[in-house]
Amino acid sequence: MTFSQVLAVVVFVGAYVLIATERVHRVAAALGGAALMLALGLTDGETAFHSLDAGVDWNVVFLLLGMMIIVGVIKQTGLFEYLAIAAAKRARGKPYVMLVMLVTITGVASAALDNVTTVLLIAPVTFLVCDRLGLNPIPFLIAEVMASNIGGTATLIGDPPNIIIASRAGFSFNDFLIHLAPFVVVMMIVFVVVCRWLFRDAFTYDEQRVAEVMALSEREAIRNRTLLVQSLVVLALVLAGFVLHGVLHVEPSVVALLGAGLLVLVSKVTTEEAIADVEWETLVFFMGLFVMVGALVGTGVIGEVSRALADAIGGRPLVGVLALLAISALLSAIVDNIPYVATMSPIVSDLVAAQGGTPQAESLWWSLALGADLGGNATAVGASANVVVLGLAARNGTPISFWKFTRYGIVVAGLSVLLAAPYLWLRYFLLA
Amino acid sequence: MRARDLVEDYPLVRLSDDALDAARLIADQRRPAVVVVDEEGRPVTVLPASQVLSFSVPGYVQEDPSLSRVYDEKGGADVCIRNLSRRSVEEVLPPAERRYELPVAPGNATVMECAATMARLRTPLVVVTEDDGAIRGVVTASHLLQVILDASGSQA
Repeated sequence: MTFSQVLAVVVFVGAYVLIATERVHRVAAALGGAALMLALGLTDGETAFHSLDAGVDWNVVFLLLGMMIIVGVIKQTGLFEYLAIAAAKRARGKPYVMLVMLVTITGVASAALDNVTTVLLIAPVTFLVCDRLGLNPIPFLIAEVMASNIGGTATLIGDPPNIIIASRAGFSFNDFLIHLAPFVVVMMIVFVVVCRWLFRDAFTYDEQRVAEVMALSEREAIRNRTLLVQSLVVLALVLAGFVLHGVLHVEPSVVALLGAGLLVLVSKVTTEEAIADVEWETLVFFMGLFVMVGALVGTGVIGEVSRALADAIGGRPLVGVLALLAISALLSAIVDNIPYVATMSPIVSDLVAAQGGTPQAESLWWSLALGADLGGNATAVGASANVVVLGLAARNGTPISFWKFTRYGIVVAGLSVLLAAPYLWLRYFLLA
Repeated sequence: MRARDLVEDYPLVRLSDDALDAARLIADQRRPAVVVVDEEGRPVTVLPASQVLSFSVPGYVQEDPSLSRVYDEKGGADVCIRNLSRRSVEEVLPPAERRYELPVAPGNATVMECAATMARLRTPLVVVTEDDGAIRGVVTASHLLQVILDASGSQA
């Protein structure tokens, strides 16, 4: 290894350790690492800001920004509150039926919106409904956050790692629907069945309290019908834009920005309200990460790692796919899956190219996505949505301990990997 | 005019009193707050009606405006009563580090002193104490405003 490669690895690993251990704020760690890479001459301004392969991926940043604005407006409509209360009433307060409906709403919504927003919207109404029925909300919250992580795996915009993968691999919205959505549907069905067993002690039915749920008025939750219609029309247009990406030749980031702009223009939401929910910290975190990973690419570290991995895999692509799935799931359970995928993407890109870019080689991308997205369910800190729900639960007097979550999480994440492995094998090797 | 000339009797509750009884006291007498005293009768803090509501309305409802609309009147009342029942006044108060500073004034405090204390602490009342710390009474913001308006000769 050259001296500059050693330096780049030291800076990167140092920043990564700080991010993983949360010794400093993750944004400070990522920006600090990026600044050091620039200061040490391991990358330069031109590369950091303008290189497609070794710079900030503006497609990812602006896709996230656009979707955050759209979601921020949708949040104000009361749609989720309406859907969740309507579901609880339709279930007539029967806990398991209610859980299945709430999990389904969360999973589907997570495919179209980001996971953190989805759980932030569904958790409060879950507290309310469980309170009315005298139920412990913890099993419902855990099931919802897991459904959110599973559902988010299905689409390009469902989970930030997918956005990074799509941009690096050049995958379209439809590619994700074709390759990941079928598995996610199966996984969701298995998950709701497993929930019956996992949370079997939570489904106590008190007929006396059903009236308390039936008295709730879900229609009142919709505070602004005009805004609801405008938001849904714009969201539908944006999703159509993603699906028609191949025909329109418009980047997903541009579609999201156009949607965000249109929504702000047609609705009476002020600009301040529209951008109030933009997670600027997350966007800056992404930028810092991209500069750091870009330095690893520029100094040739990623190339060296890719060559070593390609040699190790040799002529056994299935081994590579399954190993990547398992390692991704394991690491994503412990550390944030965003920096992990940001780091692995150029490596996987090299590996796919080294194997001739065949469908079998491309399955490495799907292996990375499945492992990183679903591995996050394993522990309380495996995904941002898990951390958010734990915080909400503690604030509302029903704390969920790390181990309580992890006890269920390991089962679900383990099951996900056990199902994903034969899916990858069957689809890309046996039946290819 | 001094604080001692403006004092009026005001409901007191002890830290160990039932929170629901304190809420009823505030409601029945249409008071904006009650004064909280310790077991020796020394004033500790004030319990504003808004804090009683803040405790009784679930946090998730406070944070989500859409959810607050889905309850009917009885359902909303049930939730509030359930959260207050079997709680003491001390439990309903904010944690010690965020507790309201006791708005207190000596008997010889001027009208402006009382007004400044209320303005600084954003409180609708000031507790007037004797030299030994015992409560002499309370000066309310509405009474104080009346005195100020009368003194200036201001008329509606």
